[in-house]
Amino acid sequence: MSGHLRIVIAEDAAIMRDGLTQTLARRGHDVVAAVADAAALLGAIAEHRPDVAIIDVRMPPTHTDEGLRAARVIRSEHPGVGVLVFSQYIEARSAAELLAGSPAGVGYLLKDRVADVSDFIEAVSRVAHGGTVLDPEVVRQMLRASRNADALAALTGREREVLALVAEGRSNTAIAEALVITGGVVEKHIASIFAKLGLPPSDSDNRRVIAAIRYLES
Amino acid sequence: MRQRSGQEVGSRAGTYPGHVRGVWTWLRSHPRETDLALAAFVVLATSGESGADPLVLVVGAALAATLLARRNYPLHAFAVAAAIAVIQVALGIRPGGGYVVGAWQPSVADITIAILLYTLAARSSRRTALIGLGVCLALSAVTVVRWSPERGGFHQAGPHTAAPTLGAAALLTSISLTAWVIGDSVAYRYRVAHLAALEERAARLEAERDSHARIAAAAERARELQERRARAVDESAARLRSIERDLHDGAQVRLAALALSLGEIKENLEAAVRRDGDDGQARTRMLVGAAHRDAKETLAELRDLARGIHPAVLDRGLDAALSSLAQTSATPAASSVHIAKRPSPAIEAIVYFCAAELLANVAKHGHASAATVYVTEKDGALLMTVTDDGVGGARITAGGGLAGLRERVQTVDGRLVVISPDGGPTNVTVALPAHA
Repeated sequence: MSGHLRIVIAEDAAIMRDGLTQTLARRGHDVVAAVADAAALLGAIAEHRPDVAIIDVRMPPTHTDEGLRAARVIRSEHPGVGVLVFSQYIEARSAAELLAGSPAGVGYLLKDRVADVSDFIEAVSRVAHGGTVLDPEVVRQMLRASRNADALAALTGREREVLALVAEGRSNTAIAEALVITGGVVEKHIASIFAKLGLPPSDSDNRRVIAAIRYLES
Repeated sequence: MRQRSGQEVGSRAGTYPGHVRGVWTWLRSHPRETDLALAAFVVLATSGESGADPLVLVVGAALAATLLARRNYPLHAFAVAAAIAVIQVALGIRPGGGYVVGAWQPSVADITIAILLYTLAARSSRRTALIGLGVCLALSAVTVVRWSPERGGFHQAGPHTAAPTLGAAALLTSISLTAWVIGDSVAYRYRVAHLAALEERAARLEAERDSHARIAAAAERARELQERRARAVDESAARLRSIERDLHDGAQVRLAALALSLGEIKENLEAAVRRDGDDGQARTRMLVGAAHRDAKETLAELRDLARGIHPAVLDRGLDAALSSLAQTSATPAASSVHIAKRPSPAIEAIVYFCAAELLANVAKHGHASAATVYVTEKDGALLMTVTDDGVGGARITAGGGLAGLRERVQTVDGRLVVISPDGGPTNVTVALPAHA
């Protein structure tokens, strides 16, 4: 997950727009456009065909869900462009709307996550490369609201942590790093989780995420 | 004033001795019987006195008729009787009196006219009554002169004496005067009572008008207060929303940018340590790390605060907001919203906070496996029902969560109804106006 990405930023607060632009530029990425509203965003996407768009949910004129709607338009009109939606709040419904269809190249993060710069940049990169990134908050909400609370109750605390990271779209290596355990232990946990949830194991990170989310949503 | 008149009438009635008052009361309460008795007396007296004179009988019957009509037509009855008297005198008919007892005995006609004069005085204006009195006195004079011994009247009295004539005149005059005075006093009492009744009626009408005016004023005030409250509720909802926006566009975004900068500084310092193996900046790194953590925690706190002030998701409508709530509910929940038009923002906020609190209650106390949030409209009101399949037994207790919700709902004239039999299920319905 590296390399030079072409990025469009849509964020109406100048201080954040500039901060993100500079941060991404310092990491060697190319912010081809930084705009302040949804119409300009759609224009910039059509013009630049970036690898990924970082989109604030609330933008003018109504400051409600312009960013979310624009993200859905981009997903249907430019399936090759990854969309990373970031927001002051996490709404499970918005996550479900974004993930509708294919979750490939979709991210949904709390705005706070920009503070952990490297993680954020990595998330941008994952989405740009067709991965799925969900905020831990989304995972937490979905876990809490799961219709399969009984099955989830069978998971150990450690397994829940691993599942949350799986749902975030992290690789086994990343999970091992995050939890300070070895890759083998992670694999064992995942096998156990999938067994307890009745999911077939899979090689693909993405399909793991999809399976996990579908299961949690069901 | 009114009170005093009433007392006067009362005290006047109280001056009569008991049995007189009794008879008087009976007579007054049986006018028909009284008049029939009087008429019967007149007919009997005339027929008894007259021998077989048919003309006298006709006169008697006519007089009896005037008595029957006296209460409804006092003036007509009096006029007819007076006319009969005039005709009587003119034709020389003199029923009653002279033949039996004595020259100065008043005739049946005299008594009838006296009664009619009394009725006239009691029931008509004083002016009419005075004219009636004048007519009576004139008739008396004519009668006395007509039947004077000099002209062949009173023939059974001693001839050529003035005494019977004077006696008859005095008697007839005093009968007329007495009838008039009694009638007039009755009229006076009636007028006083009537006046008192009128005053009372006027006062009652005034009081009624006052109370109507007060009710109208109160209704107007209630309407005004209702409008003012609706404005206040809407304004406060709008203000909360704008505070949340200000936070979002101001403090939150600045703090996020600050956290981003701190994160970069922190990572740069860490990278420097890794690159140079130099940890001369350990203290700075620690301080930056703490600042970075603080910024992130503050962001999280600010987010919770802003959400409590106004949930941004509400701007997308109740359906979006409630489905988000349902999706994050600890007890699996589903929501459905069936309303044609969006209620005012203040009402939406109340619905949202009620649903959030009720779902939290379900998770905390309900031991439920599922809950539903259902919003619909009925007769212009918004109904939100949260149902769960838990153990039931939910009650509104003073100071409890449900009581707090009810208070919140009542600020806009809404209602909260809890149906929660022991054993479940629990059904809490909030009814709200579509606009505050």
